[in-house]
Amino acid sequence: MPLSVSLSIEGDTTVIELSGELDAKTAPDFHRTIEKAAGHGTTTVEIRMAGVGYMASAGLRSLVFAQQKVADDVTIKVVGAIEPVSRTIRTAGLDRSIVLSDE
Amino acid sequence: MVELARTPVVLEVPATVGALGDVAAFVLRLAGRAGLDRRAAYRLRLAVDELATNIVMHGYRGGDGRITVRGRSGPGGVQITLEDSAPAFDPVAGRLPPCPGVPPQDRRIGGLGIHLALTSVDAFAYVYRDGRNISTLTVKAEGTDPCPPRP
Repeated sequence: MPLSVSLSIEGDTTVIELSGELDAKTAPDFHRTIEKAAGHGTTTVEIRMAGVGYMASAGLRSLVFAQQKVADDVTIKVVGAIEPVSRTIRTAGLDRSIVLSDE
Repeated sequence: MVELARTPVVLEVPATVGALGDVAAFVLRLAGRAGLDRRAAYRLRLAVDELATNIVMHGYRGGDGRITVRGRSGPGGVQITLEDSAPAFDPVAGRLPPCPGVPPQDRRIGGLGIHLALTSVDAFAYVYRDGRNISTLTVKAEGTDPCPPRP
């Protein structure tokens, strides 16, 4: 299943909305969008993942990449991830630096 | 012991990122046949996907190769065997647990895929035989989630 990625700005938040499956094949699309989002210079980058039904470690790599690309004072939020996806993020320990929220 | 079909179903794919979707579909079909619930099916798929991705990216290092996937399902669960002829690699030895003290940007995420795989299954075995890496993963229908969600 392919991944659809959209990018928008809402006030001082850059919003990346993902839908589909995030794995080794599709993660490069997410990577490219992160690079664009990092250039926006907003204080928050919000990654909406409610439509992501599956995420492999390639998705974790993308989230780490996002942390590396944005300035230190930028907050990265992952919003709406289904339970197995948020569990994968926690297993990697990324919930210490990325804000996980239901909505 | 998990009760499984005697004869496995077999899928052979080129070791490419593009073939990972075929492997996932194959595994999910077996999970459906075994009646695994959604969570167990997800765990099985994640484990097989991570190990297959590792074979593609690091085993054959992007070069030509094949991956053979054998699957046996039964009312008790699913057992998947992954075989490749890349250089010997024992996933258990290559496992990299997350290290909370290390900043994310300094972590090697590569080994984390294998950690995810090994913590997703109920049983795992590896053997190198006749020039082939053979990994066997089992997810039980009634298995205890080895990494349950936090309350």
